[in-house]
Amino acid sequence: MKAWNRNKYAAGFLIPYFSLFAVFVVAPIVYGFFISLHKWYILSPHPTFVGFANYRAALKDDLFRIALLRTGYFVLMVVPIGNALSLLLAVSLNQGYRGTTIYKVCYYLPVLTSVSVVAIVWRWLLSSEFGIVNYYLRLLGLRSINWLSDTKTAMPSIALLSIWWGAGGNMLVYLAGLKNIPRELLEAAEIDGASPGQRFRSVTIPLLRPTILFCLVMSVIASSQVFGQTYILTGGGPYYSTLTVILYMYQQGFGLYQLGYGAAVGYLLFAVVLVFTLLQFKLLPFRRL
Amino acid sequence: MRRIRSQSKVISIKAIIAQLGMALGAVIMLAPIAWMLSTSLKHESAVLSAVPHWIPNPPTLENYISLFTQTKDFPVFRWLANSIFVSSSVTFLVLLVTSCAAYAFARLEFKGRECLFMVVIATMIIPSQVVLIPVFLIVQKLGWFNSYFGLIVPGLASGFGVFLLRQFFLTIPVEFEEAAYMDGASPISIYSRIVLPLAKPALATLAIFTFIGSWNDFAWPLIITNDISLRTLPIGIMIFQGRYTQEFGLTMAAAGVCTIPIIIAFLVFQRRITEGIAMTGLKG
Repeated sequence: MKAWNRNKYAAGFLIPYFSLFAVFVVAPIVYGFFISLHKWYILSPHPTFVGFANYRAALKDDLFRIALLRTGYFVLMVVPIGNALSLLLAVSLNQGYRGTTIYKVCYYLPVLTSVSVVAIVWRWLLSSEFGIVNYYLRLLGLRSINWLSDTKTAMPSIALLSIWWGAGGNMLVYLAGLKNIPRELLEAAEIDGASPGQRFRSVTIPLLRPTILFCLVMSVIASSQVFGQTYILTGGGPYYSTLTVILYMYQQGFGLYQLGYGAAVGYLLFAVVLVFTLLQFKLLPFRRL
Repeated sequence: MRRIRSQSKVISIKAIIAQLGMALGAVIMLAPIAWMLSTSLKHESAVLSAVPHWIPNPPTLENYISLFTQTKDFPVFRWLANSIFVSSSVTFLVLLVTSCAAYAFARLEFKGRECLFMVVIATMIIPSQVVLIPVFLIVQKLGWFNSYFGLIVPGLASGFGVFLLRQFFLTIPVEFEEAAYMDGASPISIYSRIVLPLAKPALATLAIFTFIGSWNDFAWPLIITNDISLRTLPIGIMIFQGRYTQEFGLTMAAAGVCTIPIIIAFLVFQRRITEGIAMTGLKG
């Protein structure tokens, strides 16, 4: 194969992908920062340079601060609970019981739905009057809940349906990680008299660490981008209780046509997420990637 | 002997409890989708009954029929056709473009190969929502706002595709290609006649993930189109349910139209998808 180390062949194979990559992946990162330094109305032809004024304005903006906090609240619910559920499902699938394939398909099916389907279906499930969830709550003698229209329950409801939507995805990743743990190690621990709980804590979890870190990092990145659920179901309400950062960016950029300000909001979110991602790498060392 | 027997009894009781737990989990995970389908098959008067019935009695297709026949304001057929066209085009083009790049990364030697590959991997960390505004402006400048080009092209530079296929190409023994090279084959014919056929499992996995991702995409088609006849299903059905907020039979039928094709495709290719996750190199 040595005779081919001529750059021209490689160029032919690379040009289609990298022209797209340059225009739609690299350029937007740079251009987005450029936009964020301008007062940029969607309709006006001449954006004016304002330096970091958009960033300063965002840091003083009460709604942006609320959006950051509400997004953080959402991430804090979805990431730990969602990952615990994914891991639980993966561990149960890894026991080799009968019907495992069918269970795997059942747990994965929600992942296949579009966020608009998730929103439409859960609005019906959580409907205060006719919703089936409240029906079963009443059947159990509990009071029905105004899931999406109460400021206290709106964000937990969004988190609930997001966990349902996403659990199957990480489950498959955890399952692949579990399958890579050598059986001999678990058997050796069993012979040494370790209980199932001890084996899980001292063998499975340490060996699964890279997978766990991968899933946590990806979940934080994905859930901090939450948009469709709040856009469709609540529009950020009631009383801004479900206003998330990307939703706020959308409202500023495409609702009020303040593209410069919207871009700055997006970049600030990216900076925050990046800091948390690096923190996760620090706290949970990634040994074998 | 006795000890072994009692142990296996303990294990079987454990297995029964585990089975029950797993079944309960499956019921909970499936319930929302089942309730969507059940509601969509109910007559209008049965939808809002005080006691919920999981099995529609009698089942009716009238919601689906009126969904497709109320085509004046809501061209559902058109949305379906748009979704099929956009997702198929994206899938085909992603396979074409990323497999070429992945082949170069796996097999051809050129300056800066490792460095360029790291750049592709690094950009995968940048969330697509954060750059929504700059991508929108770039596509608008290209004159692709409200067009199929705008819906399809920006999603083609898939870093995941390049990564997945490169990893797979590296596992193909190089001897096949060397033999063809001795016979005087060019890189292009080796790529298309030897590597691509051998990489069918990886290509199929990437195809399924890409198709599902494109079919379900929400934020991008929401902002890049505004003509009702250019909407894809996820956007279309959201607009639809905004009009018919209280007619749950109809809106569940709309959600069903967006979901059923994907579930069928998934069940057909189910094994490929679950194997594909293991193949992406997420082995830790």
